Amino acid sequence: MRIILFTIVICNYLFSFDYKLEPIKISDNSYYFYGKKEYFSPQNGGNISNSAFIITNKSVIIIDTGTTVEYTKQAIKSIKKITNKPIKYIINTHHHPDHFLGNNAFKKDVKIYATTYTLNEIKNHGDLYITNMAHLIKDASYTTRLRIPTELLNKKSMKFDGYELEFYYLNGHTKDDLVILDRNTKTAYVSDLIFNERALATPHANFKKWIKSLEFMKNLDFKILLPGHGKVEYSKEVIVENIEYLKFIDDLLTNSANEGLDIFEILSEAEIPEKFKNYAMFEEEFERTIINHYPKYEREVRK
Amino acid sequence: MKNIFKLITFITFLLTSLNASNPVESPMFDDIMKQLVGDQKYIFDKDIEIKVPSFADNPVQVPIYIDGKSVKNAKRMIVFADLNPIPIITDVELKDFYPVISTNIKVAQETPLRALILDENGLWHVGSANIKSNGGGCDISSQASNNYEFAQLMGQTKGKIYTKKDVLRIKASVYHPMETGLVFGNNEFYINKIDIKSDNVTLASFKTTAAISENPRLILESKKNIEDFKMTFYDTDGNEFDLEVK
Repeated sequence: MRIILFTIVICNYLFSFDYKLEPIKISDNSYYFYGKKEYFSPQNGGNISNSAFIITNKSVIIIDTGTTVEYTKQAIKSIKKITNKPIKYIINTHHHPDHFLGNNAFKKDVKIYATTYTLNEIKNHGDLYITNMAHLIKDASYTTRLRIPTELLNKKSMKFDGYELEFYYLNGHTKDDLVILDRNTKTAYVSDLIFNERALATPHANFKKWIKSLEFMKNLDFKILLPGHGKVEYSKEVIVENIEYLKFIDDLLTNSANEGLDIFEILSEAEIPEKFKNYAMFEEEFERTIINHYPKYEREVRK
Repeated sequence: MKNIFKLITFITFLLTSLNASNPVESPMFDDIMKQLVGDQKYIFDKDIEIKVPSFADNPVQVPIYIDGKSVKNAKRMIVFADLNPIPIITDVELKDFYPVISTNIKVAQETPLRALILDENGLWHVGSANIKSNGGGCDISSQASNNYEFAQLMGQTKGKIYTKKDVLRIKASVYHPMETGLVFGNNEFYINKIDIKSDNVTLASFKTTAAISENPRLILESKKNIEDFKMTFYDTDGNEFDLEVK
């Protein structure tokens, strides 16, 4: 009997991955789904980044759609428990797979917004990302298909059924990172320009530009900050900490290149501030960051 | 009784460590070794330091670092990856250089990486490490082939001498697509030989393959205290690219 029950439980687990999504309230009409501070794995089903939704008078706006269609389907179910207003607008903040691969969970008439660069990257590399996800998270990603954003974002602000959002087109984490400012709730949705207590992911990063974007963000008028990874914040301290982290990496790479070090010497000998070491995913992200970015710094020196 | 038991364990431990077995098993190892060193003797040597990423995300650029200074008076060093379609990465006549190399390679799948170092008594020392990766690095055409700047950059070289912990270190790089020829429509086109000279004396000589990543970068260490060197890169199309550093 126990074996049968066990098989049933396992089968259920295999056939549809349960993300156990619980919306967390950040203001009267805004919520987010918290993503784990982990790397893509079959165990977490790719639930590693935050997505958010805003309930307006007539409809619902969703910011980012997670890593799989299954994730977004479950997010929609969870939203429907709170409101019966229709989900009409989706915004993709940047082209990384944990922020747009759930797009296909929506009906065809739902408008999906992204900037030109993000849209093109999704169009050109989206299928490759899906293949990668099939390797990394397996079952949970198998129903995921590509859905390219339908609308271009290029205005400073827009009204969605009368609800105004401001857009800031920054960069550094990728070549095009969208920051959304909701003045109604004083909330900034800063996407992956901020990692809260989690090591920064840098595969497409430009550290100097990223720092510049963060300096700019300090001056924006908001009380609530929702990062792409890690918990929601109510102060700007996290921006300063992210700047420190990026400066640390930038300086480390510059100095190491000047001394003629090898990648593995940096990895084993670098003096790392304690607070960064305590970040979730620090070791993995640090190694990846050094390996990916060091060759560029080496080339600079020998010019 | 207890003591005898301890003694037996100790002896078995000694025997196994003397006759150390292959730390990273692979079906290709014996065949490749036969092809490379024939019947010559080899041992597995844990003192050869090989560093690889804990996971190689990008299969076309996997940094590797080999330090075989523990093998005294090394004559020759061969680096290979058992499970790559192009297993041999480089074969070096060391002469005045230490058996040290840092470069980036391509991997087609998860594979062991070996450093074979020949000592002065004609014994090969084998160092091993395992590269974990999803692979796919050898059947991707180089980025350079799709890059408009490629024609202008190709063959451009850079280099510098550093002194680190009393060792003279050379860093060098060259723009080259290092095309494997394994992609339909792309012919093989890569640097297959590198010579390093100072005052017209050859300090070291490398045979290289397309298993090295495009736009190769190298870190090498010299025993001799040189102030300048000339490095020549030869490719499969008969081009020669010079790098002179003073």
